[in-house]
Amino acid sequence: MDNKLMHPPIMPIAAKPSQYGIDPALVKKRVAEMPGMVSVRLQELFPDLPEVIYPGPEGALDRLYELAKEELRKVDMSMIKPDQSVNVLASHHGFTLLGGQPYAILLKAIRDIVIEKTGCKNVRLRAGVGMRFRETEEYIKRYGLDEYYEGKAKGVAPIDEGIPIETEIGTLYGIKAIYDADWIIHAHHTDVREVHFHRQIDKAVKPFSMSYARIESRSTYHQNLGPRAANFTARAIFESKFVQSKFAFGAFLSVGPHGVIGVDADNDLYAINDRATFIGCQLYGKVMTLFGKIDECIAVLDFPCPVPYVFSAGVIYANFVGANADLYDMEGTPLPPYTWYTEAFYNKQGKPFLKQTPPLNPAIKMCVHNYAWTGYPSAFFSEHIPTVVVGAEQAKMFDTEPMNLKYMDHAVIAKTTEQAMEFAYNVTGTDKVIIFDGAMGGLNCSESLAKLLIEKAPAVSELVEKELMPKWFRQRGVDMSVLERLKG
Amino acid sequence: MKRVTLKAVVDKDLCVGCRICEKVCPVYAISVVDRKATVQDDKKCRGCANCADRCPRYAIKMVERDDPFDVGVDVSKVDYSKIRALCEKAHVNPEQVLCYCVGVRAEEAAAALLMGATTPEEVSSMTGMRTGCTIECIQPLLRLVEAAGNELHPNPNGWQWYGVTTTAWDFPQEVKEKYNSRGFYFDEDRELLDRIVKQGAEKEGD
Repeated sequence: MDNKLMHPPIMPIAAKPSQYGIDPALVKKRVAEMPGMVSVRLQELFPDLPEVIYPGPEGALDRLYELAKEELRKVDMSMIKPDQSVNVLASHHGFTLLGGQPYAILLKAIRDIVIEKTGCKNVRLRAGVGMRFRETEEYIKRYGLDEYYEGKAKGVAPIDEGIPIETEIGTLYGIKAIYDADWIIHAHHTDVREVHFHRQIDKAVKPFSMSYARIESRSTYHQNLGPRAANFTARAIFESKFVQSKFAFGAFLSVGPHGVIGVDADNDLYAINDRATFIGCQLYGKVMTLFGKIDECIAVLDFPCPVPYVFSAGVIYANFVGANADLYDMEGTPLPPYTWYTEAFYNKQGKPFLKQTPPLNPAIKMCVHNYAWTGYPSAFFSEHIPTVVVGAEQAKMFDTEPMNLKYMDHAVIAKTTEQAMEFAYNVTGTDKVIIFDGAMGGLNCSESLAKLLIEKAPAVSELVEKELMPKWFRQRGVDMSVLERLKG
Repeated sequence: MKRVTLKAVVDKDLCVGCRICEKVCPVYAISVVDRKATVQDDKKCRGCANCADRCPRYAIKMVERDDPFDVGVDVSKVDYSKIRALCEKAHVNPEQVLCYCVGVRAEEAAAALLMGATTPEEVSSMTGMRTGCTIECIQPLLRLVEAAGNELHPNPNGWQWYGVTTTAWDFPQEVKEKYNSRGFYFDEDRELLDRIVKQGAEKEGD
């Protein structure tokens, strides 16, 4: 065992007050604090990961703000006139990355540079959501964005008033408030998050069919086109004449699984998308492939986000439940272990319609739900993976929440974190634990799992570089030589 | 089937009668009466929380019911061959889950339509479908309502839904050809969806 690569646990992201989660005071114990837990640093597992700006030493966020301004100054904003209006479009998920501050800083920098370069002061923030309609309202207050945008900041939801958008595939629908300005700026990030849904196809464009879109468009994505055609909904909306007539530029927080790498701002969103594809496949692809090598474990949810969105090493739980398949492989994995299409295609006996449907990751012997939010339909997870929820208050919250009425039908309750972990150890017989607590720069896990990850990482890195990435790019029609240049 | 455990309660002192609540309710349970949001019959509320979550004045709260109740349609009361025919017309398998939040399957929504529902709101009210997130199942719901022979008329004063959109079955060929090389697997996915729709049909035929 290479003990030099094991470190004390990294401080998990703190519990946060929200209408979607229990009172943080009820989160008495974080699993990372428990005996036998260590951390591994991603840059030590994969030494070729690029340097990060954040997390970093004191002043790292200030440096990020300065870098963001520097990159934004390079973008052409000449189309924006002083007497016009601009909507800076944000999405909830950015605020869940690395504590939320980096994304909030990008949003502040965008406003400042638009005013500086164009003289336009009517700059508004429109922050879209997933299924938790108040979520970005909470973030706007938490990060002081309402004051920064001088009261012109608001959360928008997919059930708000819509606007028809004519596209190559017919009429789709956006949220009216997203487009109620002369210009829009797409403020996003390169975090891969839902690879099971978007499959790293046009990931940079996805919010046009999600957090900026009405229910009709989102349902088109998740119910009408199929698991590998779904993200075309985003491209169709983005390429519409209407959206193109308003699109000014994209400004992305470049993040890898280990932290903020930089800021990518460009008038050409597809150029950003190519660079995001590179980050998604190479950097995140290595962590996901490594996670697929875990033979058995207890998965711990311990992060202020809904069940599928808790993070470990930049990978969300919804991807870990599919880590037994290659989610980037468009041909080998036509239907991932978890997507909403997959969930839909289980019959009344709880069996998949198609025999070749891969099961949820059989390496997960038990899930300990120490702390995670409601606000996303999660019963499929507890139905297929033995789940222990800590605390009657948290269980009650799920049991009455409109999207999770059946989550507790399949889960048991432990009074304390200690009892939940003891139960999991006894029942599963494994001491390998992976903790989804958003630890920045690495991941928290048990010593036994750290040992496995350290052993497997070098071969995984080689596999991804030499075999998997060329295949993944070929399937996406992406020229490797272009990406080699981007690398440089 | 859904166990309805919550209901919307309005604080009339905070309500300003803006009508957003009635524009987003998927079952028309709340409306503005005398300039105040009102749930006239709280048994109509399916507890989705849309009204509470979009109220700009935070005037609506979801509270736990003292009298929780179940809504649902008994599929066995309807000729299953008709359910399957309707589902196939809408390109869904009867056993397919359409509403991930509530767990409503296509057969139950189809049965509601065959038992007399004619609008998406009536199906939601009868089955609980689209009363969780209220987002993701709108398209198959609209498809089923239309496949049952009903015309779709969006509420001109509401934002409940606007209309049907493209599917794998009417996706323009020229668009497929234009983008096939960019990683979209349009025809392969349609083939997958078609296989799903047909699953179980032979067994029932036996």
